[in-house]
Amino acid sequence: MTVRELAGQLGLEPVCEAEPDREVTGGYVGDLLSWVMGRAQAGDAWITIMSNNNVIAVATLTDAALVILAENVSPDPGVAELAERKGINLYRSPEAAFPLCAKVAALL
Amino acid sequence: MKELSLNILDVAKNSVKAGATRIVIRIDEADGWRTLSIIDNGCGMPPEFVATVTDPFTTTRTTRPVGMGLPLLKLAAQQTGGDLFIESSVEPPTGTTVRATFRIDHLDCVPVGDYAGSVVTLIQGSPEIDFLFVYNREDGQSVTLDTAEVRSVLGPEVPLDLPDVLMWMQDALQFEAEQQ
Repeated sequence: MTVRELAGQLGLEPVCEAEPDREVTGGYVGDLLSWVMGRAQAGDAWITIMSNNNVIAVATLTDAALVILAENVSPDPGVAELAERKGINLYRSPEAAFPLCAKVAALL
Repeated sequence: MKELSLNILDVAKNSVKAGATRIVIRIDEADGWRTLSIIDNGCGMPPEFVATVTDPFTTTRTTRPVGMGLPLLKLAAQQTGGDLFIESSVEPPTGTTVRATFRIDHLDCVPVGDYAGSVVTLIQGSPEIDFLFVYNREDGQSVTLDTAEVRSVLGPEVPLDLPDVLMWMQDALQFEAEQQ
């Protein structure tokens, strides 16, 4: 399933659609960035409530397919532009991480 | 990072890389605040590098585009209402001071963790460097380990990375009630 299809199915709000045709192959959820950095896999849909520049750095390092900001979290100022520059797919959703995980798991 | 001790390891390694011959690591707790200071006499960083060093896309490494040590320490500090401060000078080369402040009673304040393990790991990796470690705990207890002093007692022929010396230092770093 592509990022675009997943975003459509989940009704995600795009913050930065840098590469919507990327394939999503898995999922990860977590907010402790140093932990996520060593565990999220390339191609994952990463669900988090963190919203700063470091999220884009961790998404770059892990090569996550997309980042989903849960619970209507807004990206900090400048984060959307950084995602654009680094080619990171960034979305947000009003739903909490748990139902988002369940839906991503059901779709993959 | 789940423990401050992991940040200590990460940041002090920068000091080693900067060619420091003396590295001071302090944890000072007072008035509800925990302050971590890492002070080295290494080569320092130019002002334009200091300005970007907490940007996760800055690094001295060439293997990956981002360096996460200082950005994560800054995030950990700010999550508790504290902050990260860096002073550094190349000309004159007076070294670098990294200082991070944490509100101890904040829910997102990570525990100090195995600081003794981090300090011993640093000494083991660079036994020729002088390390001064000081931990002043909020309850008034404190521990100090000065490897320059250890070296002057043991004499120049005893390297600090001998297993027995490392074990002794690991023990010397414990607070009294916790010593085995």
